[in-house]
Amino acid sequence: MSNSTEGALPSRSWVTDKIFLGLPFADYLKSLATPGNFLAGLIIAIGVPVIVYRFAFGLGASTNLSQTNPWGIWIGFDMLAGVALAAGGYTIATAVYIFGLKEYHSIVRPAILTGFLGYLFAVLGLTADLGRPWNLPVPLFISWGGPSVMFEIAWCVVLYLTVLGLECLPPVFEWLGWKKALVLATKATIGLTVLGVILSTLHQSSLGGLFLMAPTKLHPLWYSPFIPAYFFISSIAAGLSMVIVESGLSHRAFRSRIDHHVDLDKLVIGLARGASIVLFCYFFVKLQGVADGGRWSLLATGYGYWFLVEVLGFILLPSLVFAWAARHANVSLIRWTAAWTVLGIIVNRLNVSVIALNWNAPERYIPSWMEVTVSITLVTLGITAFRWIVNRMPVLNEHELSGGRQI
Amino acid sequence: MIPHDILTLYSAKMIEYGIAILFLLLFIPFWKYVQGPSLATVPAHATVRQPAMAGTDWFPIPFDRLFHRGHAWARPDADGLVTVGLDGFAAKLVGPLASVGLPQIGAAVGQGERAWRLVADDGRAVDMLSPIDGTITEINGELLKTPEAAQADPYGRGWLFRLRPQRLRANSTSLLSGTTARRWMDEAVAGLQRTLSPELGALAQDGGVPVTGMARIIDPDRWDVLARTHLLTDDKEDANA
Repeated sequence: MSNSTEGALPSRSWVTDKIFLGLPFADYLKSLATPGNFLAGLIIAIGVPVIVYRFAFGLGASTNLSQTNPWGIWIGFDMLAGVALAAGGYTIATAVYIFGLKEYHSIVRPAILTGFLGYLFAVLGLTADLGRPWNLPVPLFISWGGPSVMFEIAWCVVLYLTVLGLECLPPVFEWLGWKKALVLATKATIGLTVLGVILSTLHQSSLGGLFLMAPTKLHPLWYSPFIPAYFFISSIAAGLSMVIVESGLSHRAFRSRIDHHVDLDKLVIGLARGASIVLFCYFFVKLQGVADGGRWSLLATGYGYWFLVEVLGFILLPSLVFAWAARHANVSLIRWTAAWTVLGIIVNRLNVSVIALNWNAPERYIPSWMEVTVSITLVTLGITAFRWIVNRMPVLNEHELSGGRQI
Repeated sequence: MIPHDILTLYSAKMIEYGIAILFLLLFIPFWKYVQGPSLATVPAHATVRQPAMAGTDWFPIPFDRLFHRGHAWARPDADGLVTVGLDGFAAKLVGPLASVGLPQIGAAVGQGERAWRLVADDGRAVDMLSPIDGTITEINGELLKTPEAAQADPYGRGWLFRLRPQRLRANSTSLLSGTTARRWMDEAVAGLQRTLSPELGALAQDGGVPVTGMARIIDPDRWDVLARTHLLTDDKEDANA
């Protein structure tokens, strides 16, 4: 039996045990030699010098941004899409801790970790986008702009990133073996979840609210007084879809760490049902936006066709496919539809912030190779951080310190 | 005219009201469709109907299956073929699977003879016994991609293969069903509990569920030997046979 041999095991250092996965350093280095790590290393090796270059020489030297097009993919992709796709944290935590859907307990931790890393790297992308990032504390602490939507977003994101960081602590404490800290962190779970859903509701919608100030710049098909509602509703579908995608990838990549007595397929089908309903409602709210603005004639233009691709191809169709796949328990189709929905959310955020913004300006924005490189690097860093944490901390599986119950 | 007056029936408002009513009319059937019971379509031979169950809380026994003491089940189908799978006990005994080694189509298998193997993610493999004699006519291809289905749903989509039986009536006399199978499963669980480590014992007492990989929890170093003992494929059993 395992207990009888425990005393005979050679003692290992804390670093070997916790950081190098119990392997001697040389063996640990060898274990890193995988195609995935090589690709990630290559991207980071190219991307980090580009990030350094951006901070050394400024936005003008590294981006195609201008006075006409001050927002590029670092806002559209890294910030707006990143924050929407990180919504799985508050969506699943709310479902489990507030609505009592306990069967989804096993996916709370990976959802929150994905949310935390999503926000963290979204903020890093924002920092790269700001002309003077060192002035970031000014609007937060020194010169408050109460009526500004940007002020609310800044505070909400800072607070929610903190909340997500705190929600991520239980697996960290379990990893470190700090039982008292674990008990404290566990007691804070409900409070943090309530705080998280409040802050998310505020800033997910406010990110859309930013565009209420640009009625003449944003194409009429995308501009609507309902745009904060669009952003909030779509963030729920984005979060659910991202959890489906992440759980599928984690199931493949971290097979030995998965809690195998959880029927993941059943959970995925439940998430697909939720995503289907949310997308269905989202489609009709979008339709109301077009009707409210009386923009039907614009649908027969180039931008109109692209709008229809987004609304029919990335909202209505995934909703119907999710419904069919959930009804027929086709988990593989659900996963593909979730990836398709994630792509649709990215398309939507890029449409609102880049493609359909300044649509009638003579100067069009196309991101520079350095902007694209920085975005790819930030995503790679996020995935690498997720892998590093999941390989060490009890995120995907249960742990003996929590009595076999996830917190 | 007052713009956006709710009582002003100009065309834009009519369209908005129309969309709202259309949404409500469509949402109700859509909700019912999405939330309805699963319509999963599977071949008739691998029907995933949830059969009436009996038995221990840990391992219910479907009444429509014939059980071999090596923890495999057989179900005669309407087309004359027999579907074979592993039971809930075997599904939970071995830990996470890397693959299920299925026999080839056309291969002959015999009752009580090694017919397939469960390969765990640590590389160790455990053979299992065929419940009846026959020739393999079909294997469950889904298990090649998702072997964990054999554990997640052993009586449904985790079926292993179908075969053409050679002497089903004679084989059936050695198989267990109904209350006999239930008593046998109770004994198997009791036998396992006698070897339980304290932590797994606590699970049983608090009404918990058996975790996948029970053998690994009981004896991480020699779990495969323990599993073979329960699945009747250890060397000693072979010698006795």
